[in-house]
Amino acid sequence: MTAPSTIDIVTAGGRRGGRRIPASVSFRRQLIPWLFLVPGLVLAIVFKFVPMFDGIRMSFLKVQPFLGDEFVGWDNYATVLGDKRFIESIGNTVTIAVFQTVGAVVVAFLLALLMEGSARWLRWTRTAVFLPVVTALAIIGEVWRILLFPSEAGFANRVIGFFGIPPQDFLSDPNQAIWWVVVVGIWTAAPYNMIILLAGLVGIDRTLYEASAMDGVSTWQRLRHIVIPSMRSSFAVVLTLAAIRALRVFTEVYVLTGGGPAGSTEVWMTRTFSLGFDQYKLGVASAASVILLVVTLVLTIGVQWITRRKGNN
Amino acid sequence: MATSARRKAAAGLLAAGMLFSVVACSPAPQDDANAPLEVWARVSGGAAAAYERIFAEYTAQTGVEIDFTAVPELDTQIQALAQQKKLPDVWINDAGSLGNYVAQGFLLPVDPANIDGAENIPQSTWDENLGIDGEIYGVPFSRQAVVTFVRKDWRENLGYDVPKTWDELHELAVAFAEEDPDGNGKDDTYGMIVPGSAQSGYIYRWMNPYILQAGGDALTNNDDGTFSVAFDSAEVREAAEWVQQQFCTEGAIVPGSIGMTTADSSFFETGEAGIYATGIYNLNTFDNAVGAENVEIIPMPEGPAGSTSWAEGEDIYFGAASDRMAEKEQLASFLISETAQRIGMEAGVDVDGAITQAVVRIPVNQNVDAVAVTGDERYQVAVDAYADAVPFPWSINFLPYRQIIADGLNAMMSSCGSDIDAGITQIASDLQAQLETDGIAG
Repeated sequence: MTAPSTIDIVTAGGRRGGRRIPASVSFRRQLIPWLFLVPGLVLAIVFKFVPMFDGIRMSFLKVQPFLGDEFVGWDNYATVLGDKRFIESIGNTVTIAVFQTVGAVVVAFLLALLMEGSARWLRWTRTAVFLPVVTALAIIGEVWRILLFPSEAGFANRVIGFFGIPPQDFLSDPNQAIWWVVVVGIWTAAPYNMIILLAGLVGIDRTLYEASAMDGVSTWQRLRHIVIPSMRSSFAVVLTLAAIRALRVFTEVYVLTGGGPAGSTEVWMTRTFSLGFDQYKLGVASAASVILLVVTLVLTIGVQWITRRKGNN
Repeated sequence: MATSARRKAAAGLLAAGMLFSVVACSPAPQDDANAPLEVWARVSGGAAAAYERIFAEYTAQTGVEIDFTAVPELDTQIQALAQQKKLPDVWINDAGSLGNYVAQGFLLPVDPANIDGAENIPQSTWDENLGIDGEIYGVPFSRQAVVTFVRKDWRENLGYDVPKTWDELHELAVAFAEEDPDGNGKDDTYGMIVPGSAQSGYIYRWMNPYILQAGGDALTNNDDGTFSVAFDSAEVREAAEWVQQQFCTEGAIVPGSIGMTTADSSFFETGEAGIYATGIYNLNTFDNAVGAENVEIIPMPEGPAGSTSWAEGEDIYFGAASDRMAEKEQLASFLISETAQRIGMEAGVDVDGAITQAVVRIPVNQNVDAVAVTGDERYQVAVDAYADAVPFPWSINFLPYRQIIADGLNAMMSSCGSDIDAGITQIASDLQAQLETDGIAG
């Protein structure tokens, strides 16, 4: 909430010394930040909240706009929770969420430690490392598919062939496909997390480093007792964002495997998409989305609560 | 104070401007009777050019403008538009979507008596468009059946005859993988191209001809509005075993096929694989990529029960969101005319210089001879294949059934040790459950 203070500075010129501020001016001063927020709010309402509430409404309907929607109560929710492929997809979603989140945060932390500083080459490297974030996921998926092409002539197979490992099926093998989805997810998400963690790293009080150097602590001790505790809030942000992103993972899976082979990479959102747009059960798909929303909300509040409690301790 | 007031006014204007622009962005109402008919087709790139030529001719002949949009993800877009109670006036899409559209109330019924030239379409073709309520929905526009494309030069280089049976097809596929058919000294070619992903039912759509050739099928139409599951049979098992043999013979199928959609499967064009069971509409693209003299279309190699193929088609659908029946009927009459069907068959060049796909595959108008129009004898194989081809049941919403089978087959083919019997039994029981959900179990 930095907006009010900015406004205070802007309007300070009109104050004429230390006189009392009339109520109308004070009201205006409260109004102006809201006006600045209007563009963002309008976009959020039109593109986020209206569809969200519409989704909640649709989750109680058998959606058929040309025959008249039918109210079906909790039936759509029962269908989702009774669908064995949805239940199977929960396992895959959680696997991807856990490993991708942990992997992306660990890799991001390592990258952040490597990339901290202001040297010119670091700026260049940081930009290069950040590239996956600004590249369209569909393109990333396509590039990885080419790298992981499962013939002997495929790039990845030639690389591992160099070390005497036999050609792998990668995304075509039901036993490994999900792990390659995780790898691509980590590769894509880590640089974004890195930026948040870098900001956290920069914010650490330098005098702590100097004091610890005087005490002769090792690098590991410095990491363990200064860096990581100081970055608690950054980690909380990154973990929350990464977990939410991983739970609603869709594009990577859709482009890399389409949920296959043998449903081994089917996740909550690919199943939802398939119900909505392959089978046209939009009510059921909406119910599935609402369940995901509730789960995400609970998780987010949970993570916030845990980190806040730890912070207070 | 004055500065502050101005600022506030500016902020207010800005905010109001933002709100106004959002409101102004909402789509215009569709029911403007003077606007040109809005027509969609599920095509992209080169094929869109073919439609544009057809509609340009329509405008030239009648003076009536058409607002045409090529929509690659047509079904998703139709579904999204329908949520706002809107639809295009007319759209052209798979005949297999008919039951689905009817179930959702998207279509206006068609009275063939009001379509000029309706008598040029065989009655059997009209009958394929019967909805479950006995009304005709959609005007047939194009028909086709899956045919087998083979790299003729590769086959001849290796001294193989045109394969006439499944066994010979398998031998040829293995030879393409192992005997260096392009003679470049590298082990970089494969046998068959298989879009094996379950997405959009691809693996089932590729495999269905083989199921039919083994004498199997998914459902039996009881002709009383109900269907029975036919999938759990020795015939389907035989087809599945043969297909699994292809997946599990190194090189017989392009590696990684189990995850591929048709969009990922351009190995014929790139000269990496030499056998592809697919639609005749790919002919122009293949000819352009590897040379017409190197592309042959062979009659489907025979399975245990014959060489039946799988039929598909495209229909002209009349959207239920707008009436304008006379205009829609006039357009449909033109689209099935000899002129339009001919234009739809011709290969053209799009704005990027790429060869376009034909949008009319086998013409529905019996006065149009595909071979004569194209001057290409290979079309005769496709015409013959269509004569001996079986479609999915179009009158019901077949999509959930197609997806159940595709998911099951994808799982079955993803590993060489999979239990085919258990897989087929599982698919059959899922199909039965779906029939019961839909209330059409016989």
